[in-house]
Amino acid sequence: MDPYETENPFEEDTDRVQSEASSAYRVNLSAPSSPPSQSSRIPSSPSLGSASRPAFPSSGSHRQPQAYKSDFCCTRDQWLHSGEEVEIITDALKTSVNSSSTYITYVIKSGTAEAQHRYSEFESLRTSLARLYPTLIIPPIPSKQTIGDYAVKQAKAKEDAAMIARRKRMLQTFLNRIARHPILSNEHVFHRFLDGEVSWTEVLHSPPLSLLPTNILKAPSHNPTDQNASPGYTALPNPSATHALRRPDQRFLDSEVFTNKFAAHLSGPMEKVTRRTMKRWSDSSHDHAELGAALNGFSLNESGQLSSAIEKTGQAVDATYMSTTLLLQELEQNWAEPLHEYTQFATIIKKLLVYRHQKHVQYEMTQENLEAKREQLEELEKSEHAARRLEEALGRGRTSADSPRTEDGTPSSGDNSRADTGYLPPHPGPNPVRRRAPGMGFLSALSYTLHGMMDVDPATARRNAISKAREQISLLEDALHLSAQDLKYSSSTIQADLDRFQRQKVADIREMAISMAKSHRDWCKKNLEAWEEAKREVEKIPDHPNRMLEEIVEDSGGVANGSRESTSTIDGH
Amino acid sequence: MLGEDDDVFDSVTWESPSAPTYDAGPSAPTGPGFRQSTAESEPGHGPHDPKWEGYLITSVKDPVKELADTKDAYVSYLVSAKTNLPIFSTPNPSARRRFQDFVFLRNHLSKDFPACVVPPLPDKHRLEYVTGDRFSPEFMERRRADLHRFLQRLSRHPTLQRSTLLRAFFESTEWHVTMHQHVAHPPGPEHTTGVIDSISDTLLNAFSRVRKPDERFLAMREGVDKFEEGIVLTERLWSRIRNRTNDGTLEPGEDLTGDYHDMAVAVQGLGFLESGITDPLNHFSNTLLEFSALLRHTTQTTTDPFLIHLHSLLQYSHANRAVLKLRDQKQMDFEELSDYLSGVTSERDRSYLKDRVDALRGADDDRSRVEKMRKLDAKIKELQDAVQTAHETSDAFSDETLREQTVFQYAKEAEMKEMLGNLADGQMEFYKAAMDEWDRIIPIIQRIRVDV
Repeated sequence: MDPYETENPFEEDTDRVQSEASSAYRVNLSAPSSPPSQSSRIPSSPSLGSASRPAFPSSGSHRQPQAYKSDFCCTRDQWLHSGEEVEIITDALKTSVNSSSTYITYVIKSGTAEAQHRYSEFESLRTSLARLYPTLIIPPIPSKQTIGDYAVKQAKAKEDAAMIARRKRMLQTFLNRIARHPILSNEHVFHRFLDGEVSWTEVLHSPPLSLLPTNILKAPSHNPTDQNASPGYTALPNPSATHALRRPDQRFLDSEVFTNKFAAHLSGPMEKVTRRTMKRWSDSSHDHAELGAALNGFSLNESGQLSSAIEKTGQAVDATYMSTTLLLQELEQNWAEPLHEYTQFATIIKKLLVYRHQKHVQYEMTQENLEAKREQLEELEKSEHAARRLEEALGRGRTSADSPRTEDGTPSSGDNSRADTGYLPPHPGPNPVRRRAPGMGFLSALSYTLHGMMDVDPATARRNAISKAREQISLLEDALHLSAQDLKYSSSTIQADLDRFQRQKVADIREMAISMAKSHRDWCKKNLEAWEEAKREVEKIPDHPNRMLEEIVEDSGGVANGSRESTSTIDGH
Repeated sequence: MLGEDDDVFDSVTWESPSAPTYDAGPSAPTGPGFRQSTAESEPGHGPHDPKWEGYLITSVKDPVKELADTKDAYVSYLVSAKTNLPIFSTPNPSARRRFQDFVFLRNHLSKDFPACVVPPLPDKHRLEYVTGDRFSPEFMERRRADLHRFLQRLSRHPTLQRSTLLRAFFESTEWHVTMHQHVAHPPGPEHTTGVIDSISDTLLNAFSRVRKPDERFLAMREGVDKFEEGIVLTERLWSRIRNRTNDGTLEPGEDLTGDYHDMAVAVQGLGFLESGITDPLNHFSNTLLEFSALLRHTTQTTTDPFLIHLHSLLQYSHANRAVLKLRDQKQMDFEELSDYLSGVTSERDRSYLKDRVDALRGADDDRSRVEKMRKLDAKIKELQDAVQTAHETSDAFSDETLREQTVFQYAKEAEMKEMLGNLADGQMEFYKAAMDEWDRIIPIIQRIRVDV
């Protein structure tokens, strides 16, 4: 992190932030689709905090016009889809409204609207969007401070100017990424966030956010808040993220492998080297500041032309200090921050792929469940069939054996006739065994034992099971259908958003590389100019008296004075 | 080689070589090093303004390993000069000399010209000797540059550039003979070990200070202190920057060179992942690699020579400081001797008074007392001579030192000009090359077509 910024008191920082924001604004208005022109980007005198910033997300080399839209849900929507390049600007403010202690609030300007939100509200917006759109890549917001940061800086942490400035930049990028997103930009929740007409708490407690289900895996992918969603969703299982797929989709397997590689490469080599390089530049710029001061002091002890030559050399070193500080800021904003953002993106995409994976598992599990249920039903029906045949056989045997008993006047015909008509009692009634009068014959005893072995009332239970299985099968069939639809929808939506993301990523990498090259180029240019000036002053130091006169030089054929000669040898070395 | 002796003795004879006007002080031979100033006071020239009789442009080139494959192997350097000084017999003298010869030249010049700032030689004992790599091209080139600077400093000195020893160094075909003769017959008379030496030894100690400090020399001393302070600080800070830029090893290490190398590798890795933009990212990676190489290159060709020169200038300034210190010592010699003289004189006066009182009393005029008086008188006479000499030596040395400071100032300015000029050139070269490199990559990246 930039040590110069940390030393700034907050009040100064707000100014800086504002100037930065306005410069970014200007840049984007003047040159929307091509890289900003050199002159507008580089301030004539190097000053801290004037680092320029090409806005991320980059608009790439060719920006496509937004899809035509005529039915706007609100004025923000209209503004966002006006067909012009829109840019949301944020600003940081220290305030204590509605609170006993001061806190930082971010002022969001989108067109004519202005809203103020705290970091936690951005966080809440992001979480809400992620739940509303489980199949879309919701851009990241700057990560929370670690507990370690708080411990080290304690109370100061909240006011750490550099941290606020970075948050502001990254939150702005976050909003603009949503504003440029073909689907997310239409979300009214987002419009309300920008409008700032109602408090965020109110937005959270009104539809659609209040309708969000607790488990989005059991809600439709295309609209988790759908109140008329089929009850089939409740039949969907809640699989773990690590559950293996039986028939994985190769495309998404590749996506997962790639995302893992990308995340590892970004958070590993890329970010680590970047941090190391910036640390080194920061140390180097400190050294230059010290050296510049030392040379300035040195020049005071010398006199004449030598003094001014040393002074100018010191100024060249000072210029290096200034330009390096600027280079550092630009590296931080245009290289390190987007890099980190993409590391976050990788994590988000991993989660997105996990969601799709779970949806896929849901589908497979539902399918398995259905098959299992069908098998079960088949089994039940088979045993029902067998039981009926047995029942029939038994019935025949009993009829012949019971005939004398009927003559006893036992009113058993009702029972029998009911059984014969295949009447199925809806609930297991009072135990029919009880009704059977004591003193049954041998067959009754056999039947009793048989019944006791199978169930209290096998026929009833079995029939219940069959009906239940049928119900479940029909529910699962529904669920399978929904799951298949969801899987298809999430796969295609995720794939489409991944494709969009890939284009955005290339555009941003392009912007990062260009910006890095330009920052270094400008750094070289400034230092070159400073050293050229120093060289001119050094040249004015009189030559040593021990030298050949001009005419002699010509006579002897081009051998210049001693110092020139040694110059060539040193250069040659 | 007839007349070589004479040549050696009155090598730089713009003053009568024989019959010194006063006795030599301790370790102050009558070399022209401090005699010249008393004689030189031409119109239009202040007494302390140095004057160059002509030019002497020297160079050290072409190191060659001699007697290779033997244990006596050494490196010889071609020393050559262009000059219009009358002392040289040719305008383009040249010879091959080895490091030992430079050492001899320096040692004897500093002995013969104690009031002159004789530039130091690079340290002979360096790691390269231990590792046995003193014949490596890098080491020979580094030493060549050091020796070149040494001769350049000598040649810029108005007195030293006209010394016979330097002339012989460039011209003599029998340098061994010259060296031998020079050792046998140094240009100054042998050191006289007289009363002054013994007195000085007893009176002077390391803590004694000049009692009547001369404002001019105080200012000078302060100037030297501040100059050295500036050099030391600059050297320290610049070394730190240098080590952050490139730690001197060819392997990518813990420095910016290594950082940009590693970043190039990382970007290349990103290129492998992003199949659509592999090619532009490879180009970008090459630019980062090129920048890393430029950082290393400028460290080797600009920063390191600058730091070496800076350090060498510091050592040259140390030599200058030593001369200032020697001048203080001459003044102290004089002051201590004056004290001693006044002590002895007052003792004699007291004895004399006592004698007179005794004589008036009619006391015995002891012969021993007369003897004592005679002894005291003799000592006083001797001391008076010594004080006289010390005074002249001190004055002459002071004058010479003033002149020498001007000479050193010229040398310093010229070297700073060269040093800062080379530094600026190197920096400009680096920034120009790096700027071109970054400029080249921008359109390549811009050519990436991407619709968002």
